[in-house]
Amino acid sequence: MTNSNAKTARYWQTLLAGLWRENPVFRLLLGMCPTLAVTAAVKPALTMGCCVIFVLLCSNIIVSLMRNLLKPHLRILMFTLTIATFVTIADLFLKAFVPRMSEMLGPYVPLIIVNCIIICRAEVCASKNGLAVSIIDALGMGVGFTLTLCVLASIREILSTGALFEIQIIRLSSQGGWFVPWAAMSMPVGAFITLGLILGLVNKVAGRKA
Amino acid sequence: MQQSWLLIVSSFCFGLLIAVTSAALSPRIRQNEINKRNRMVTVLLPEAKDFILLDEQVEIQSLQGKKEKVEIYKVMSKADECVGWSFEAAGSGFADKIKLVIALDKNFEKIAGFDVLSSNETPGFGDQIKYDYFRDQFEGAPAGELRLITVGERETKDSEIVAISGATISSEAVVEIVSNSVTQIKEQMRKKGIIGNDKQ
Repeated sequence: MTNSNAKTARYWQTLLAGLWRENPVFRLLLGMCPTLAVTAAVKPALTMGCCVIFVLLCSNIIVSLMRNLLKPHLRILMFTLTIATFVTIADLFLKAFVPRMSEMLGPYVPLIIVNCIIICRAEVCASKNGLAVSIIDALGMGVGFTLTLCVLASIREILSTGALFEIQIIRLSSQGGWFVPWAAMSMPVGAFITLGLILGLVNKVAGRKA
Repeated sequence: MQQSWLLIVSSFCFGLLIAVTSAALSPRIRQNEINKRNRMVTVLLPEAKDFILLDEQVEIQSLQGKKEKVEIYKVMSKADECVGWSFEAAGSGFADKIKLVIALDKNFEKIAGFDVLSSNETPGFGDQIKYDYFRDQFEGAPAGELRLITVGERETKDSEIVAISGATISSEAVVEIVSNSVTQIKEQMRKKGIIGNDKQ
């Protein structure tokens, strides 16, 4: 009984780690490239997040299954091979079913291959743990990453267009409202500023707790 | 050489997985591209119903001096009459390649308009090449040499295109792509006798 309780507690801990304590973007500062590049609007950010969850889940499962066969010198090679396969599949699916998103994300979908979050989880978690823990870890990290992207993207989309999910929520000055959109927020500048401010905020909150 | 079998076996399995997915999805992907282009042309030529690929070979010299084959589509109406022509043209923009689909009227005298298939221009500035106020200037412009000007009337339909302020390079790129492809294709189509020769 205590054994299973301890197990459940560990699962929860693993799941929650990705959401806050070890949040890939805010706490580990991994995967900065997509974080900065695709957060101009919520829709592409969400699509990117879903792709990362899919790839992370598949690669963690495969790596966890073959962890006993891996030799140190082949390790990174096998990780990259696994990740590249699933990224290619995700890219094909996007092109076939959501061509508009695939266009918007452009090269950033193939670039998931070099996203450090995925290779980090393969190395730190999946290659040392069983299937269950690896799957939970992938979900926790993936969802944590997706939520973070969505938070950044919502801030940037509202400030740059006055819309959320492409639905206008603030009337622009050009349509008789009061809001003057900040074009800079949809450019890389906006990404750096937003990420910097939020990182500062997160550090402050986390620091107070500790 | 330990465990290299693992690499070989998994490469094979992963390769197979990708091949199967790609084979299953590629018709759909190709169809998406065709649909997108046809949708754009239908906006430019409202009577468009059907698109027939022209058999004749047309080659144009791109702005970089490379010879490229162009697929020209004859746009047909519901009543099976030719209402215009469309083709794709590309060139370098400010940040990346700009790919356009261009539509012309049936006599190749006036441009019916263009739309952007893919581009990566600066958001807020260069990407205004997709906006109506810029694109509308091409609608009804003569099919020939076009010129970019910085000050002028956007409303008049002539060969002078007013640039987007803050995005001269992007505007210039679009004007050059349209002008270059239209003049060359027009000349070749005339030579081949596909379109009338009367208004030279």
